[in-house]
Amino acid sequence: MSDNNLLNAVAGFRDAMAAKDALAQTGSDFTEVKGAVAKTISQLHPKRLALTVTQIVEDTPSTKTLRVAASDSRLLPPFQAGQYINVFVQINGVETARPYAVASSPCERRYYDLTIKRAQGGFVSHHLLDAVQVGDSLQSSGPMGSFHHNPVFHGDDLVFLAGGSGSVPARSMLLNILHNDLPFNFQLIYANSFVDDVIYADELRQLASEHANFRLDEIISRPPAGFTGRSGRLTGEVLRELLGEQLDGKMFYICGPTPFNNNCLEQLLALGVKRRRIRIEANGAPKSPDQQAGWPQGVSLDDEVTISVRGKGSFTAKVGEPLLNSLERNGYGAENACRSGECSLCRIKLLSGAVFNPTEAHLRKSDRDFGWIYSCVAFPTEDIEILL
Amino acid sequence: MHSYDAVVIGAGNAGLTAATALQREGSKTLLLERHNIPGGCATSFVRGQFEFEVALHQLSGLGTPDKPFIMRKVFDSLGVLDKVEFVQEHSLYRLAVPGEIDVTLPASWSGLKRTLIELFPAEQAGIEAFLKLCETICLESFMTLPQARRAGSEDMLKKMCPHYVKYGFMSAKSVVDEHFQDPKLKSLISAYWLYLGVPPGEIPFPDLAVMIYAYAAFKPWHIKGGSQAMSNALVESFLEAGGEVRFNCGAEKILTDNGAVSGVQLETGEVVKCRTVVSNASPLMTFNELLDGQQPPLPVQQDFKSRRMGTSAFVIYLGLDCTPQELGITAASSFVYQTLSDEALYQRMGSLEAPLGGMLTCYNFEEPEAAPPGKSQVVLVCLQYGDVWNSVAPEDYAKTKYAFAEQLIDVIEQVYPKVRDYIEEVEVATPLTMMRYLNTPSGAIYGFRQSTEDSALLRERLDGVPGLYLASAWTGMGGFQPTYMAGESTARAALKYIKAQHTEVAHV
Ligand SMILES: Cc1cc2nc3c(=O)[nH]c(=O)nc-3n(C[C@H](O)[C@H](O)[C@H](O)COP(=O)(O)OP(=O)(O)OC[C@H]3O[C@@H](n4cnc5c(N)ncnc54)[C@H](O)[C@@H]3O)c2cc1C
Ligand code: FES
Repeated sequence: MSDNNLLNAVAGFRDAMAAKDALAQTGSDFTEVKGAVAKTISQLHPKRLALTVTQIVEDTPSTKTLRVAASDSRLLPPFQAGQYINVFVQINGVETARPYAVASSPCERRYYDLTIKRAQGGFVSHHLLDAVQVGDSLQSSGPMGSFHHNPVFHGDDLVFLAGGSGSVPARSMLLNILHNDLPFNFQLIYANSFVDDVIYADELRQLASEHANFRLDEIISRPPAGFTGRSGRLTGEVLRELLGEQLDGKMFYICGPTPFNNNCLEQLLALGVKRRRIRIEANGAPKSPDQQAGWPQGVSLDDEVTISVRGKGSFTAKVGEPLLNSLERNGYGAENACRSGECSLCRIKLLSGAVFNPTEAHLRKSDRDFGWIYSCVAFPTEDIEILL
Repeated sequence: MHSYDAVVIGAGNAGLTAATALQREGSKTLLLERHNIPGGCATSFVRGQFEFEVALHQLSGLGTPDKPFIMRKVFDSLGVLDKVEFVQEHSLYRLAVPGEIDVTLPASWSGLKRTLIELFPAEQAGIEAFLKLCETICLESFMTLPQARRAGSEDMLKKMCPHYVKYGFMSAKSVVDEHFQDPKLKSLISAYWLYLGVPPGEIPFPDLAVMIYAYAAFKPWHIKGGSQAMSNALVESFLEAGGEVRFNCGAEKILTDNGAVSGVQLETGEVVKCRTVVSNASPLMTFNELLDGQQPPLPVQQDFKSRRMGTSAFVIYLGLDCTPQELGITAASSFVYQTLSDEALYQRMGSLEAPLGGMLTCYNFEEPEAAPPGKSQVVLVCLQYGDVWNSVAPEDYAKTKYAFAEQLIDVIEQVYPKVRDYIEEVEVATPLTMMRYLNTPSGAIYGFRQSTEDSALLRERLDGVPGLYLASAWTGMGGFQPTYMAGESTARAALKYIKAQHTEVAHV
């Protein structure tokens, strides 16, 4: 240090130098923490999990539960009941992925249960239901998402409105409460179209009969002849009856198909529930983005546009297909997890042309300003060029 | 194989300014970032209707348009000054220690003096002398000290920097004690130490003086759209200049040939060629893990031994369903303590016991667009050294994090009692969250512990591997202004090296 001597004239400099040298006597070169950061992070938030399917249970005619364990037989990362993992698959040469909520209890870390319902016109759900066998390997993201009980403000009076496979995260939340003896009331209002659609039916009914703090209300929208249970739609009136008068302090979780979610939200707000007491799980890209405000006039979901990937090539796609999907079908891709416009992992840059960002796209203000989009929920409404 | 003049590892503040400066000066640059978004600390995330600022509380060094300071020049030279909008904060901070003191200091050099004298009339002489000293120390540190050092003249040093010679390596505490009697005044004037995570007794006086003077005279600022807007603007400028960026792509190895940088191996396994690397990752990661097969050079090992791990942060991001007024907010930034004792506050920063103090920032107090209409974006922070989190078992992590969050909210609620009632969104970040997003040991957010012994004036640059440059909070001071500037100045050093290499090649 050339000017060492110079700074010696500064009061306190010598002492500081001496103190620094003293630290060097007792300090370390930090080689002992080599790898510690990567290890700590991968315990809590691994980028990828290598999984093996250990068991498959048929729940209903349209659903199966796949039990997956870590391929190296270690414990899986902890998660908060309600969270999901994104399952990566390769189908006929196309690499894609879909998020699935974990159905099992967070107390159980030897496996995760994934309950898969056949999606109409689906791609990955068919594959998981029809092609995947016990012993197969799968890859996934680590557990993600903020649809879970948050003790900081959710309180202890919880109501879960589930439609169809929306009961998956509810099951994990319920098991978590029961396993840990948490002092919560948990009410599950579970709507299905048909009686043989009800996932976990026996288990849920059994638990409801055994635990005073768990209440199960089922409702079937298309009951068979002679059905004696509750049937019809979840109207405000039905909800009022099921929930009782005292709504203050309750926390509401909604998870189901988009129309179900919208209906529940509307009814709860009409009953006077504050929006801040209602959590809605993400639900993939919208099926009818053209119904949303701001959709450009004269553009139809079936129109075709050209997608150019700078420096890499181009292909034709339908306006109504989320950009990430068409990218994947054409051999491109982007990192992703929620595929619902929430996690930001699939963020890419739009260089020219326009896409429609639906309300699902939780974009940052400056991403909007500088042309960054979430490809999982972006709909190209004209020819576009993107940067991958 | 792709080939670049320079590869920049990490798109934190220093990585972004380094990459932008390199590319704008004509060096073909590849910028690598492990995450899907640029910024490192300087980022934001969306929950529900809220976009949360992750790290920027008060940007320093900007000055006003008619009294500009250095950062305007830096941003201008990087091509981003017209790509972002700045929002001025009108107060430095409110300090509230229930039962002891509750004062808001204005962001104005003359107003600060007036307020302090009004509150502590008996200490007028000390206040005037102290503030004058803060101002002169700053001017000497930035203007005359570098001149005297360049000239290598002790005479010049003594003549041109008399205050620096007297106070430059004194602790902030000793200078505060020399000027003031009242412990409340002492706490009030040194409150900014909480941004550093090292108590006044262990930081050099100029570090505190610079914060007080720079924030009061040149104002504290926010950025519209948050620090993410600046990170995005820098990427935009970098791309406009022809740069190449890859997100979700970490650097695995820095490759060398005959001891000099020769390339970088990416997370994907791909190898790119380059003779220059600017690493925005911590030097510990860079030398101990990224550098291929080599021991770090001896002076680097020696330097590491005299360092200690810096502070991380515990942060609660709150989206509240009420206005700042309903919360009782009167200034964007507040410090809330339960004690006047710096030492007691500091001791707790190393434990999971209830914190004794915290900060609250309400971003939409001065910038309404920072929250949806009628709502508030409020962030609670207490600095915390990350090591205590290493002993928390993975299965206890969530529980521990929420329990600590409750304790921090308890502290803040002594002054802002309604925070819990209005929560619409909340996200809690621990030192392990910082570790995940920054890839830093112990989740450090300002690099090494910034005590007096950490001062850059006591240290050589970390070199010894030709072509390898470091730019981050670890190589100088942490914080926004210092890291933006570190990247830019490192780029200038790297550019010289790149030019020399080109000339060499041309001569062969
Ligand atoms: C909660 C919080 C509050 C803060 N408050 C303030 C404040 O009010 N005022 C202030 O001035 N400062 C504040 N800071 C600190 C300030 O933000 C930081 O000191 C500064 O931003 C650090 O910049 P950096 O350039 O060192 O990069 P960092 O932000 O540390 O970023 C490093 C980047 O490198 C990437 N990276 C690391 N390893 C690799 C690899 N191998 N390959 C590719 N990429 C890699 C990381 O992903 C990251 O993006 C705060 C920080 C936090 C977290
Ligand atoms: S994958 Fe989560 S936002 Fe697109």
